[in-house]
Amino acid sequence: MESKKKTLRNWLLFLATVVVVFILGLFASSIIERRAETEYVYKPMVKIKQSEPRNEVWGQNFPREYQSYMKTSESDFRSKYNGNAMIDMLEVDPRLVVLWTGYAFSKDYSQSRGHYYAIDDVRNTLRTGGPTGPDDGPQPTTCWACKSTDVPRMMNQAGITEFYKGKWSRLGPEIVNPIGCSDCRNAENMNLQISRPALIEAYQRMGKDITKASHQEMRSLVCAQCHVEYYFDKKKVEGANYLTFPWDNGFSVDSIEAYYDRIQFTDWTHGLSKAPMLKAQHPDFEVYKTGVHAARGVSCADCHMPYISEGGQKFTDHHIQSPLNNIANSCQVCHRQETDRLLKDVYERQDRIIESRDKLEELLVRAHVEAKKAWDLGASDEQMKASLWDIRHAQWRWDYAAAGHGNSFHSPVEISRVISTGITRAQEARIKIARVLAQLGFNQEVPYPDITTKAKAQEFIGLPMDKLKQEKEIFIQNLLPKWLEEAKKREEGWGVTYN
Amino acid sequence: MVKLIEKFIPPEQWRIPVIILLGIIVGLGLFLFRISNAASYLSDKSETCINCHVMNPQYATWNHSSHREVANCNDCHVPHDNVFNTYFFKAKDGMRHATIFTLRAEPQVIFIKDAGKKVVQQNCIRCHSRFLTDNLAVSNLSNLMSDRTERQCLECHRETPHGRVNSLASVAHARVPKHESIVPGWLNDLMKNTKK
Repeated sequence: MESKKKTLRNWLLFLATVVVVFILGLFASSIIERRAETEYVYKPMVKIKQSEPRNEVWGQNFPREYQSYMKTSESDFRSKYNGNAMIDMLEVDPRLVVLWTGYAFSKDYSQSRGHYYAIDDVRNTLRTGGPTGPDDGPQPTTCWACKSTDVPRMMNQAGITEFYKGKWSRLGPEIVNPIGCSDCRNAENMNLQISRPALIEAYQRMGKDITKASHQEMRSLVCAQCHVEYYFDKKKVEGANYLTFPWDNGFSVDSIEAYYDRIQFTDWTHGLSKAPMLKAQHPDFEVYKTGVHAARGVSCADCHMPYISEGGQKFTDHHIQSPLNNIANSCQVCHRQETDRLLKDVYERQDRIIESRDKLEELLVRAHVEAKKAWDLGASDEQMKASLWDIRHAQWRWDYAAAGHGNSFHSPVEISRVISTGITRAQEARIKIARVLAQLGFNQEVPYPDITTKAKAQEFIGLPMDKLKQEKEIFIQNLLPKWLEEAKKREEGWGVTYN
Repeated sequence: MVKLIEKFIPPEQWRIPVIILLGIIVGLGLFLFRISNAASYLSDKSETCINCHVMNPQYATWNHSSHREVANCNDCHVPHDNVFNTYFFKAKDGMRHATIFTLRAEPQVIFIKDAGKKVVQQNCIRCHSRFLTDNLAVSNLSNLMSDRTERQCLECHRETPHGRVNSLASVAHARVPKHESIVPGWLNDLMKNTKK
């Protein structure tokens, strides 16, 4: 009897254990199954190959993101100083022509339009000239580096250094898709990625590993692939204009200046003053990093690509634009003030920065013409050296402040400092030149040139505008259609693979 | 007591099979612990709340809101009056979520329950109490007293911070952090190698 009871108990124990293990197994399997669900949330329409340049192919999988991206083609918004329409900045401010004498920017410089126009605008600007064949024209291939999703494709195909070799015109038929999806996205897992080597290399030289960046950091770093100060290193590889970020000493205006001085880099020699000039590109990321928004953890995408909802869907607005055109979804996520008040805050900062920037600009024009006067009167290199170096630094500081998009809002305090140090250097230069002029027996004011319009300013520095425009026209008539035809043929050959 | 434990000790010849069986149970339990990311539930990380993907819309909207920089999920959705209440509520909520998730009973659109609402209200006040006791507001806003005692913050601030649209399908392409594989890297590499 006793043993029978024991057997029954043992069997019950056995069965209970079976049940427990079975249920544990069920739970485990359920958790594994539901974990796997997350992997299948994304069901793509088409297969996207790594470095697929055609934005419209990506757009089939991500219609909302694509459609909002296509809105970067809009040109209907004007803020007080900028907006998304093309503005001829040389017309608005003809002094720029004089500041850039001897450099391509004096030919043509416009406020940029949306990403959608990246390729059109670089083809149409007079700065890229009127090439007649693949080895012709004033600019190198590197000028394409930030314009197109075809750039990572070409770098994959030919190698990074090869990409940087040759004339801009050489890659004309290859580069046709404007800035878009594959510039920031990995086609395999759709994560944010860095597609441009210059940023990765700059991080390496600073001893940082960009692959360790968090998602929130990546939401700014993908922009920092292009929206930064850069230069073309001609010494790194023979025959290549190697795109390089001058961040080895840091991001500030002073550290970048020190870097350029140390490597004796000069963008061009000024046509009037013969100063060894630097051209600031668009140090947007560097300036943003000194601002209060960056300090509070706000990324580029938080304001320029806010979260929006459309019907029952929420997604990141890929209409990358000035947040001033979308204050409700950008600023007002954090700031509860009225729209007008927020706009006023931005414009107040811009007004004040522009006021001192204008002053610096005038001083620079004066410094250039005064230096030219000194040369004309027979000044020696030795006499001019110190003042030209001051002009270089003053204009670098002016350009660092002026060239960025939204600098005076991103970091008004830093930009004020940059401009005021620029003013000091410009005045320093003018005092030195005045001394030289006095030594040469000239003790009057050098007259300020009549540069009230773009045309007058370009005439003053002796630019053959008609010839430049004609060359561009010939390029658009003859070579450009051939590029487009070649590109069309290539892309037709690729097709699209549906899932 | 000792006798009770002794009753469970199996006879000599059964010991090894029983040990093996117990090992299986404990091992499976540990496996469950690992794949369900159970340790993360002790933390305050917002990523814990998307261990299962059901809360992805709430995570994505929070991650795009101004609260991202100052508050995680627990700061608002778990009481903070005392540490026992914090963990009691967390455990209670967690068990409910786990049960509903396992039964696949989650609704397409999740709404907050009354108990949760009360907690959120208390937590709004916990950080924003300054607004409720502001002298200027108290003396100038005639209905401040009734508003702050009888109404809920979220009655008006409905967009804070998740917005109004929160169905399971509302954030199809949100980039929310995914689980790392529980298979260790070296094993993954090994399996990849043998496949080749």
